[in-house]
Amino acid sequence: MQLNKKVKLSVAEKLALAATALMSGATGAADTEDVATESKDNEWSFVGSVLAYNETDRVQAVELLFSADKQYGDAGNLSLKVVLDALTGASASGAIPQPTVQTFTRPSGNGQYTIAAYDTPLDDTFRDGRGQFNVSWTDAIDQDSRYTVGSNLSKEFDYLSLSFNGEYARDFNKRNTTLSAGISFAFDTVTPKGGMPIPLATMVVDQGQFATRDDFLTAFNATRSATEENIDTTELLLGWTQVVNRQMIMQFNYSYSDVNGYLTDPFKVLSVIDNNAQTQSIVYENRPDSKKQHAFFALGKYHLDESVTSLSYRYVTNDWELDSHTIDFKWHFYGDNNTFWEPHIRFYQQTAAEFYNTYLQDGQPLPEFASADYRLGDMDAITLGIKYGFELSGGNRAEIRAEYYNQTPKANGPELVAATKGLDLYPELDAVFLQFTYFF
Amino acid sequence: MGVEPWERDLLAKPEMAINSSPMDESTDEHIYFSKEASSGGKSFAGGGCGCN
Amino acid sequence: MTYQLSRENQHSKISFQAMASPCEVLLTTFDQSLIKEIAETTCSETRRIEQKFSRYVKNNLCWQMNQSHGQPVTIDQETFQLLNFAKNMYQLSDGKFDITSGVLRKIWQFKPQAKPPSQIEINNLLPLIGFEKINYDEITFTMPEGMEIDFGGIGKEYCVDFITNTITPICKQHQINFLVNFGGDLSANQHKDNFEGWKVGLENADNPQLADTVIDIKQGAVATSGSTKRFFEYQGKTYSHILNPLTGKTIEGGPRSVSVFAQSCVLAGSMSTLALLQGAQAEDFLKENQVKYICCW
Repeated sequence: MQLNKKVKLSVAEKLALAATALMSGATGAADTEDVATESKDNEWSFVGSVLAYNETDRVQAVELLFSADKQYGDAGNLSLKVVLDALTGASASGAIPQPTVQTFTRPSGNGQYTIAAYDTPLDDTFRDGRGQFNVSWTDAIDQDSRYTVGSNLSKEFDYLSLSFNGEYARDFNKRNTTLSAGISFAFDTVTPKGGMPIPLATMVVDQGQFATRDDFLTAFNATRSATEENIDTTELLLGWTQVVNRQMIMQFNYSYSDVNGYLTDPFKVLSVIDNNAQTQSIVYENRPDSKKQHAFFALGKYHLDESVTSLSYRYVTNDWELDSHTIDFKWHFYGDNNTFWEPHIRFYQQTAAEFYNTYLQDGQPLPEFASADYRLGDMDAITLGIKYGFELSGGNRAEIRAEYYNQTPKANGPELVAATKGLDLYPELDAVFLQFTYFF
Repeated sequence: MGVEPWERDLLAKPEMAINSSPMDESTDEHIYFSKEASSGGKSFAGGGCGCN
Repeated sequence: MTYQLSRENQHSKISFQAMASPCEVLLTTFDQSLIKEIAETTCSETRRIEQKFSRYVKNNLCWQMNQSHGQPVTIDQETFQLLNFAKNMYQLSDGKFDITSGVLRKIWQFKPQAKPPSQIEINNLLPLIGFEKINYDEITFTMPEGMEIDFGGIGKEYCVDFITNTITPICKQHQINFLVNFGGDLSANQHKDNFEGWKVGLENADNPQLADTVIDIKQGAVATSGSTKRFFEYQGKTYSHILNPLTGKTIEGGPRSVSVFAQSCVLAGSMSTLALLQGAQAEDFLKENQVKYICCW
């Protein structure tokens, strides 16, 4: 059942399996005997998973995940993971709705899209596939300490990410306390089709004012700068895991990350509106080129009589003045025949980045940094989910879960332009996702 | 604080492991990374993407 | 089977005699009806196991298996699982733990004034030893004529775990902490917080050396293998009662007894038994397996 044993079994561990089989009264005792006597060395264990993600009117995605683990020697463990994503749909561009039809130029410069009156402007050119590959290696240094090194590669049509990480962990106090320290370096390259917009440049929209297509392209290209930008991330992670008593275990993490480079989203824009809330122009957003972030994470797991509860809290704060709180609670109930039910609830709240603006006002000087990306604004979110785990006839395990996710963006302060009142500036977002995972 | 090795009967259950559902964790990280401004804190995120 | 009930300061005690040992169950409750219910269950299950697997009881299952003269014997699920466990022990000890080695008792008399058997006597018996010569599945058991099996090496620990598992639901329901102690092989289960633990003297009836050793246990199990009584001296040499079924001779240079702490009594007992079979390397074996132990040399 538990195929993810990370180390080669010692005599004591093999005997423990045999003793469990003896006392369990399981009819599969003969199988356990094989488990108990065969070395786990050189045995692969696999997990396959498929995720379907669906947002109302926006993004649809399918993700396939596959991981493989193999042990070498006493404590060596090689872990490989492949993830493939396919995404279609549209996401909010940052522009606000208008009582009239709006026309936007696609980020690539090739063509236009129109948004009906009062609708939230969504950019539907977004359509992408992604492939990700992870490899990590863990091995013991001595009886009480171990290291992990890993690397990740993620590739999309217009984005490439490569990262390396290393971690050291040491056990103390009869393995009741584990301290760990790790560092990770990531190197990302952004190459959007059509290049990077010049920060806060006005979007050129062809509304018949250009005599030829070349005239339009000349004007469009004047809003473009580089075709490739980089993002470098350094992250430090310190962890403390503590067994409290027979029923309880806790984990505390602190992480610091320093992100430098092109942090602007080349597809996001802002509406510049007058006092009547009428859009005068659309400008491309601009974000600072560095972000320093601290994250504090605490997790507690408590074993009750017939269930396990898991509660975590995370506080993240960064120098964009964006703070967030996340609370996550799972309750794992044991059912008959090796099944389980696990309800899940998650609350998330964030405050806006200092340069977040729902829109800019015409006639006022442009700020240095501005973004109307709702994901940088004030927001509450809630997730409700349930997971069911069961054993298939062959003895392999499977899990299926369904989650409902709701985001409620909010205004960060009184509305600057009162005339926006009739427009839905902060549309909610609903998403549902289903995931099936199979262990073999 | 802590337990003796032979008192780890409950802690040894897979549900009591710190990272008991790595697959779910990895998809959740990816979804929330693309929908919210904060990410990470639990482990190294593993693979940035342009979806943010 | 008769049992006695007594009331101590913080707990109640059920005591009785079984498997050639004093047996006790300690419970942190004074509820007489619960204690009685637990006592009845414990005694009847202990007697059932002893009657079924003891090689001293005539006409029981163990006796039928030993008197089968090479013919198949019908066995049940519990016996099948004990045989599986014995097979695991046999394989993990490279043949040194063997429930068919009991026939060696015919030539090794562990009592004063005994003398070691001759090599000829040993050679005559060795063909009758070897777990691999047994055939069994979930329904039948077949063993060559002249061989014998003996569940003594695992029976008491199995019984302690069986009793532990049997009384756990009711103790969990009423938040009772308990200790099952069959002559030094013991198992504790905690169902209520703020419990100081059981103070248990590891005094093995056979082993005065352990008498001073008092352990604290709230949860988990301890089992002791070895004894100081069962040995003899012949011509200035001490012979231990630990026999190697592969050579038919005693294993010398090992500790007198080994106590191991583990999650279950069967696991603790099998680890202490395997440690004794390592002879002088007993402690290396225990350290390698990272178990907590008490070794008496």
